[in-house]
Parts: sequence; structure tokens; C-alpha cells
Amino acid sequence: MNRKPLLTTSLLVIVGFLTVCPVVMLAIGSFSAGFGRFDRFTWMKYVEAYSDPEFLAVLWNTLVFTTGSAIVTTVLALFLAYMNTRTNIPFKFIFGVVTVLPMMIPHILFTASWAMLLNPNNGMLNRLLMEIFGLKTSVFNIYTIPGMIFVESLLDLPIAYLVIVPAMSAFDVSLEESSRVCGASTLGTLFRITLPVLRPAILSSVILVLVRSLASFAVPSVIGMPGRIYVYASHIYRIVATGFAPDYGKAAAVGMSALAASMVLIVVYRHLTGESERFVTISSRGFKPTLIDLKGWRYPAFAAVGCLCFLLIVLPLLVLFYSSMLPYIMTPSAKAFSMMSWKNWMTVLNDPISLLSLKNSLFLGFVGASLGVVLSVLVAYVIVKVRTKASGLLESLSFLSFSFPGIVIGVGFMWFFVRTPLYATLSALLIGYIATYLPYGVKPLSSAFVQIHSHLEESSRVCGASPLYTMRRIVLPLLIPGMVSGWILMATMFVRELTVSVVLSRPGTEVLAVQILRFAEDGLWGRLSALGIIMIFISSSLVVIASLVGRKLNQMNLIG
Amino acid sequence: MGGRIQEDLLCPIAAMDLRIRGLTRDYESDGKRIRALDHVDLNIDSNEIFTLLGPSGCGKTTLLRCIVGLETPDAGEIAIGDDIVFSSEKGINMPPEKRGLGMVFQTYAIWPHMNVFENVAYPLRARNTSRSDIQERVERALRFVQLEGFGNRPATRLSGGQQQRVALARALVAEPKVILFDEPLSNLDAKLREETRKQLHRFLTELKITAVYVTHDRVEALALSDRIAVMKQGRIVEVGDPKKIYFDTDDPFVADFIGRANLIPATVRHSSETHAIVDTAIGPIRARNSRRIPVGGKAMLCARPEFIRVDLPASDTRPNLFRGNVIHRIFVGEAYEAEIRIGETLLTTTIDPEVAIEAGDDITVVFDADHCFLIPSS
Repeated sequence: MNRKPLLTTSLLVIVGFLTVCPVVMLAIGSFSAGFGRFDRFTWMKYVEAYSDPEFLAVLWNTLVFTTGSAIVTTVLALFLAYMNTRTNIPFKFIFGVVTVLPMMIPHILFTASWAMLLNPNNGMLNRLLMEIFGLKTSVFNIYTIPGMIFVESLLDLPIAYLVIVPAMSAFDVSLEESSRVCGASTLGTLFRITLPVLRPAILSSVILVLVRSLASFAVPSVIGMPGRIYVYASHIYRIVATGFAPDYGKAAAVGMSALAASMVLIVVYRHLTGESERFVTISSRGFKPTLIDLKGWRYPAFAAVGCLCFLLIVLPLLVLFYSSMLPYIMTPSAKAFSMMSWKNWMTVLNDPISLLSLKNSLFLGFVGASLGVVLSVLVAYVIVKVRTKASGLLESLSFLSFSFPGIVIGVGFMWFFVRTPLYATLSALLIGYIATYLPYGVKPLSSAFVQIHSHLEESSRVCGASPLYTMRRIVLPLLIPGMVSGWILMATMFVRELTVSVVLSRPGTEVLAVQILRFAEDGLWGRLSALGIIMIFISSSLVVIASLVGRKLNQMNLIG
Repeated sequence: MGGRIQEDLLCPIAAMDLRIRGLTRDYESDGKRIRALDHVDLNIDSNEIFTLLGPSGCGKTTLLRCIVGLETPDAGEIAIGDDIVFSSEKGINMPPEKRGLGMVFQTYAIWPHMNVFENVAYPLRARNTSRSDIQERVERALRFVQLEGFGNRPATRLSGGQQQRVALARALVAEPKVILFDEPLSNLDAKLREETRKQLHRFLTELKITAVYVTHDRVEALALSDRIAVMKQGRIVEVGDPKKIYFDTDDPFVADFIGRANLIPATVRHSSETHAIVDTAIGPIRARNSRRIPVGGKAMLCARPEFIRVDLPASDTRPNLFRGNVIHRIFVGEAYEAEIRIGETLLTTTIDPEVAIEAGDDITVVFDADHCFLIPSS
């Protein structure tokens, strides 16, 4: 057996450094009096952090925000998944759009576009409603907890949908059929059989959204902070980034509890997803789930799905394009259209900091994703093919960062980098990004390796091919799809990265999302929109380029 | 026609014999050492279709993987033709790509990113064969497995039976010294398996090639092989041609594994040239005694269901005729499967569908003396 001890050990060291180092540094930092020195041990930071009168409010807000988002998201996802897999709703292709397209729109832009639509002063939708109905005050105020929950739910909807759909479509329909035979109605069967059997998937979705909304920074910063509603992430941001004396010790002390909560949730999640494989029955025979005929409700149901689609994709993009051309937010009118110009675009493209952030983000996207994929290939290889005790440890380590709230891990890395020459360099951001998003690369590559049955390699050897030739003609070509999707995932995430960057980005290492956050804080919505569209354009181009390169590589191989 | 395909595909024939000496392989599992192969000796002649048959975990696949070079034995020697490909004493261990063999895997191992032509051409490309040669030989191999014109299809779009034939074409295309099969039919459904087995039989008999075939399916083994080696717990229990293994085995385990068998403890009372009369719990039975077990020797009487004839009660007194009754009867299509009792002994047998016998009926039972045989008890 090929145990590859050297490779496994070096990967354990690298991945261990990436994932354990920030946690350890965070813990040490939370007990240190000064910043960057660990000489004096103190409990004071914990006392300060948790006796802060504001902390109770933060805790309460976080609780309402995360559970609210989890429930709303999961209910919406269940609705969408049920409509797609189990009913005869027309135009099903639209579900593919719902799941993929919102991922192209960075969270900060999505959030900002809703702030432009629903803020109480000059929100476009508010103004429009006031004009139509002759109201004196705004109808909606986005700067509230329900507003935060609304936007966060839309943001997390695709991921919750992707968790629920496989369970819903793998559902053994005979369970429902026997309920119908026993005399239960369609609706009764739904509530007494279908949903209970899907419980693990539903709980998984709830927990996943809890973790993501706990880590979310776009909504708390762009919507929460103007409304003076602070949650964990924005509270930590407030401690390190605003005011005269950033207190990284106190931030670390607050972060420790967020990290602990997140890790517990992820442990429960992994337990549940392991269990759901046993719970949800997958039958291979005669797999044609009976579709429920919606009859007269077909088009109203489609209207509801179409409406969600509009809110998720069309409206935010439209708002961004529209406001990028305007000097300030105004409702669409003849006056507005007459004032349209490319001024915001020119300003952004002549702004040295915006240009620097563009350059930095592109560099981080390209180099970070490439390094990340190389590391992911090696890690996935050891996890899937070597299968020793050490590779099990590597698997746990590499998925550890899945539970890291970005801003907390940013603080942890800050404690590490401040004593190294890496402080305030792009390399610091690069390391932080790869550490935080490693699971997104390891996951597609693990499944790629799983699909390469050992017989495929062995057969090549028996056919007279050397190990090197086998690697080139069989293993690598079969890995390319996994490498391409890993690269795309990582590159798009790095280009839009916000939560780690808000802590680690310093003057000179600005990145796109942080620059957009600055525009939002200053109310420069026009410039924000222009830079935002450039950002979407860049990540979309990266996706297209990577797909083309992947296809090209595959064609080259086919010809030999 | 067979001869023409043979000339078409493989000319000159390079089939070689295979000699295995003292092959031993240990596994480490949960801290325990498991002996997968225990001093296996085997000679496989050239142009022979040789089957390794046994229950799962008996070491047959390990033996095959050692021959092909995907696993390294702990001790012993393997020689293919004049080449020693593995020897623990001489420190030889040739990598699989140098051994010049062909293999059909249980999963077929069809590469999903290549079309049918590229899959079959792969062994030739790996050996740097010229372009025109590749074209010609791949086409010939595809014609042989009746997949002419399938070259441009994506390999994963083919049915299970077609994928299996692609795997066979790929294994044959480079004219291997020996071709190896690792349970190639076990992934097919019952109907297709029967069809493919016939097809494979035709291919193999036309080819005149040395083949080693691993299976746990006794029908496959009997239908395809020139000789069969039955394996159990890392050892070879018995080697022989299918008829010998089925009708005249030396070992009760083999008798039971190769087909349904009633094994009745017996003592030889009287012995003649070819037959013997033995005492059993149900009375004296005349049976074949090719092992020449002496008078007084202990033996197992092996009586296969199809050679125990069941009839309505009659009053004649032939040898080997007993009276019993039917306990249980199941209709399985071509016959009834029945459990009958003679005295205290339970036997499994088949009853012709037209014989009007039901459960509980009294019957006469006749053992076919030429097809019931004695196995020495150890």
C-alpha cells in the first residue's frame, strides 16, 4: 500500500498552520494585555468584552437576526424545492437560474442595492410608493432587524435550496403513496409524512444558514450599522476598525464565543448530514416521483417563484446599473433619465484607490485560486486515496475553517501577522483567504478523486502505461473538471471577499469589497454601483475563462 | 469463420504458459495478519482457459492481481513464458506495464473522458505504435468484439454489455501473452449475463489464447473453462477439467461449491473395478469409486439432485431403490425442487413437472449409480 508519509506530513503542517494558527492566535490574543505582545497574561479583555453594557443588546440582535434568517430562508427553500421536484409547475428551467445566478452577485452589492431601494430617506421603492399613494412617510425602513433578516434570507436562499433539493428528489415516493392509500389527503401527507422524513435536510439547512448569517458581514455593515443595530460581526468590526483605539484583545475575546458557537453548529451539521444519508430513503428502482398536479394553481405558483427570481437577480442588477449613472438616488422619472451620465464610472476609473483595489483583487483571485487549487488537489488526494489515520486528521483540519466566521479568523490572523513582515501585505490576505476558503476547493476535488476508481489507473498500468503516462493521460484529465470548478469557486470568492479583508486589509492592500464598503459608509451610491458592476464583470469573466481553459484542456487530451 | 478472425486479430499468436511457485501474500487488517495466499503452486498451459473459482475472500482476486503486477506477493515466483516477472528470491518484481498482459476488470475500467476508439487504442499509444498501425489494429479489435462503427461514441454512453466488449477489445488489441478476467460478468443483470457468457465463450474459443478467469459463479466456471482451480482460504483445493470437478471431485468442499450436492457419510462394504457398495444411514447404495477407496474405508457419498430419480411408489426391488416421502415441493419452472426424507436422512432433489407427486406423498427414490460418487473422508 502506498502510504506517502512525507506528503501527508507536509500537508498536515501546511493545513494545520492555515487553520489552527488563527484559532490559537485568537485564543492567545484574547488573554493578552497589549497588541502583538504576549508577555502579560490577563483576564481583563474577557471582563471588558462581556460586561460591556452593549454586549447584551448585541447578543440579542444576533440571536434574532440569525434564527430569523434561518427560518425564513429554509421555508422559502422548501417552497422552491417542493415546487421544482414535486409539482408540474411550468418553466422549470427558472430554478437553475435561482440557484446559480445569485452566487455571481457579491453579497455586499446585493445588500447595497436593497439599501438603495428601501432606505427610509430616499429609497427608490419608498419614494415610488409615496408618490403613487401620496404618503407623507416611507413605508419600509430597511435599517431594522426585519430588514436585515429579509436581505440575509434572500442571500442564503441558494445554498439552503441546494441542501434541500437532493433530499427532496431522493425521497422515496412510496412512503407518500402508502400514506395516501391509508386515507390521508395531499396536504395531510405533506405535513405528516413528507416534511418529517425530510427533517434532517431541513435541520441541516437551518444550521447552515445560522452559521452563515452569524459570519455574515455585508448585511450587518451596510444595513445594520446605519440603523445602529449591531450583531456579533459588526460589533467586532466596531471594536477593531472604528474609534481612536482599536482593541484587538477585546475583539479576540468577543470572537472566541462566536467561533465556539459556530464550531458547535458545524459539528451538529456534519452529524446531521451523516445521518440524513441513512434517514432519507433512496430507492434505485423505478424512480419516477409522481408529480402533483397544481391545476389552477400552476400559474399563481409560478408567479410566486418568478417574483422571488425577480427580487433575487433582476432587481438588484437593475438598481446597480441604474444608480451607477445617477449623481444621487432618485426614482425613475424623466428628470432622472435626463441627468444620466458616465460621471460615476469616470470618477471610479480615475480613483487611485479604486484602481489599486481592482488590481489587488484580481491578483488575489488569480494567484489565490491557483495556489488554493494546487493545495486542494494534494489534500483531496491524501484524503481520498491514501486513507490512513493521518489523512483522517487532515480531512478534519481542512474542513475546520468551514465553521470560521471570516471576521473572527481575520482577527486571529491579525494577531499572527502583526509580529511578522507579512503585516499589511497582499500575502497576508492571500494566506487568510486560502485558510478560510480551503473547503470550497477540497470539496469538488475530493469528489473528483472519488470518481477516479482505482481500476481506471490500474487498467492503464496493465495496458502498458508507465505511472507518469497514467498520470498524464488518465488521472489529470479526469481531475480537470474538479480543478476547474474548485478554481472558479475560489476565484469568485476571493474577488468579492469582504469579511476577512475588512480586518486584514490596510492602506496599500485595499480590495474591491472593502472599497465598496467604504463607498456605502460614505453614501456614495453611484460610485459604489459603478465599481460593483466592474466587480461582477470581473468574476463573471473569471468563470468564463476558467470554463474555456478546462474545455480546451479536455479536447487536447482527447486527441492525444 | 473462427479461423479467419483469429488470423485477422492476432498474428502471430504470442500465447504463453504461466507458472506460479510458492506464492504467499499476507494482509494486515485491524492489527491481525490475514493470509490471502498460502504457498500457491500453479501451472497454466499456453492456449488454456483457466478459471480460479471460489467463494469471496478465498484469495482468487489477490492471485490474479499478483500475476498482473498490481499487488506484490510476500514470497514465491511467477513466470510468464520464459520471463520471470516476480521472484522474491531473485529480487525480481516487474511493474505491470512491462509484463505485456491484458486484463478485463470487474468494473470494466472504461475511461470516461475518452471515446471507444481512444479507449481501445490506449495500449498501442502507450507502446508508441505508429498511427496507421493503431487505426488498423483498433478497427480489427472492434470488429472482433462486434463493435464496428462504435469508435466515435463516448465510451460511457454504451450499455453494460457493450462496455464489457470494449474492455475486452482493449485487453486484446496489444496481443497480450496472457489475458486476465476479474469477474467480468458480475456487473451484468441475469439475462444479459447469460448472453454475454455465450459470447465470451465464442470469443475465447476462437482466439486460442492463454486466459486466466476469476469468478465465484460456478456456471460461468463450468461453461468457459478448459480447467478450473477451486480455491479456499488462500489455498488451491483442487485443479481439474469441468467434468472432473463436477462429477468426480476429491473434496467435499468442491463437491458442494460447484453444484448442489447431497453429501451422505458412508463406509465401503464391497469394492469392484469401478464401483463400490457402501453402507449409509439409509441403507446400502451402489456408487462409483474412482478413488479406489478400500473395503472398510470411510467416505462421503455425493449425490447431485438431478441424479436422484423420484417416482410414484412401485413394488419392484432394484438396487439403489429406496422408499421415502416428500416433505416439501417448490415449482421453479423447468422442474420441482423438492426436499425428501428417507428414514431420518433429508435429501434435496428435483422432480419432473409431469410426475404427479405432491408434498406428503410416499415415493420411491432411485440413485443413479454411475453419477453418484465417493469422496475420501479425511
